[in-house]
Amino acid sequence: MAESGNKSELLKVRLVTPDRVLLDATAEAVELPSMSGYLETLYGAAPLLTELSAGEVRLHGGSAGEQVFFVAWGFVEVLPDRVTILAETALHPDEIDPDEAQAELKHGEDLWHQAGDDQVKYDEANAVTRVAEEKIASAHGKH
Amino acid sequence: MANVLDLRRRIRSVKNTRQITKAMKMVSAAKLRRAQEHALLARPYAHMLTNVLESLVRRTDLFNDETGEIMHPLLVEREEKNVLVLVIAGDKGFAGGFNSNIGKAAQRFIDERRAKGQNIDLEPIGKKAIGLYKKRFPAAVYDHTEELYDNGLAKHIEDIRHRAAPIEVAAEHPRLLVKANFEDVTAVANSIVARYEAAEIDSVYIVYNEFKSVISQRVVVEKLLPIRKLGAHEITVVTEMTEEQKEAAGKAAQESGVSINVPEESVAEQEAKKFGTNDVDYIFDQAPERLFRHLMPRYITTEIFHALLESIAAEHAARMTATDAATKNAGELIDKLSLTMNRVRQAAITKEIIEIVSGAAAL
Repeated sequence: MAESGNKSELLKVRLVTPDRVLLDATAEAVELPSMSGYLETLYGAAPLLTELSAGEVRLHGGSAGEQVFFVAWGFVEVLPDRVTILAETALHPDEIDPDEAQAELKHGEDLWHQAGDDQVKYDEANAVTRVAEEKIASAHGKH
Repeated sequence: MANVLDLRRRIRSVKNTRQITKAMKMVSAAKLRRAQEHALLARPYAHMLTNVLESLVRRTDLFNDETGEIMHPLLVEREEKNVLVLVIAGDKGFAGGFNSNIGKAAQRFIDERRAKGQNIDLEPIGKKAIGLYKKRFPAAVYDHTEELYDNGLAKHIEDIRHRAAPIEVAAEHPRLLVKANFEDVTAVANSIVARYEAAEIDSVYIVYNEFKSVISQRVVVEKLLPIRKLGAHEITVVTEMTEEQKEAAGKAAQESGVSINVPEESVAEQEAKKFGTNDVDYIFDQAPERLFRHLMPRYITTEIFHALLESIAAEHAARMTATDAATKNAGELIDKLSLTMNRVRQAAITKEIIEIVSGAAAL
């Protein structure tokens, strides 16, 4: 990462969940789990709107310091000077209950078996499984 | 006339009641403040989600160019034959006319729709709403079939609805109000969306008590599905607060230290309103159909969540007002009883004096 200690070159980051604004801080870089893979944004990035899948949002530098949030489905707006994340679920990795995540994984597999020939149900089952897997990975901090 | 002892006992009892209603008022005020805050904190998310959808609509055509099909099943309008009505009331009583007002508004809507020959599915939220319909209308019946595929692993599951009566209770949600959890609301919304997509229901309405502030509330019937315009609340039936109710609610709020003003927007909320609508050329890297498929059900979820949070705030406000009135009534009753008691006591004393005086005079 290039040395950009200049204060004016920090991204404003806001993480919004259905219940509240979870985080309002600044950071040098933000990693986002977009639908098409992880992406990292820095100050001055091109405007982007993208859907988030399950994974970890990681913040580096700035007032946020090093912070990690597990998110499951969301939407992000990247502007040159700010990143606004809309997340349906956002948790600190230590807030995740591994047993519960395992149960969710099991549930996803059950759904998959019950989907039959329904494509929509398959997609749903896969989505549940994916969220559970990411949750487990995040809980163990193995990213 | 009652004797002094009886009156004293009565006063003590009313005083105890007053203590209880006063405590309930304070508790409701505290809960109201929390509920108001929760509703406020939940707003940025709702704004942002609506904005993303709006900007998506502006950017893309709602109809597929090749097939002419509408982009999302939730935008499809059908003739209203089966109508789903979500009714949000409270979990507890002692809230003045709160629960019965909701019940009345819902009943009026149901009667109106029945007159047009439409079938009604009810989905009550909160124990009081459930109690209103559970005994009167039968529950919806589904034929559940499970069939194992040849490979012995996958199962084919199908639920077929059999409508037996024109008005049925499709589902009930007794615990939704307790925690007002977004995840639980998601489950409710997903089930509704699935039924709408399967054409089991042709439209969805929600009956609830809208809450802007303590003195600005109304019972509304809002159309949830099909979506005609994003971010717009399509309200069909309205019961406004009367001036007296407003006054009573305002007084109760002032005494309990609850603000009667509509809370100001936070910075986060103002900025949330601009989410995704900046005048720049965004890179939008997913196909609109796909985004629509993911965003639409969530939009419905936030709409229901929003109604739920407002209804909870309204319930606490109603209880605060009702218990405030009860406290005042108890106070008045105590004053009246004390006056009577003093009179009775004085009368007894006077009588005794007269007896002594007249006895002395007779000597």
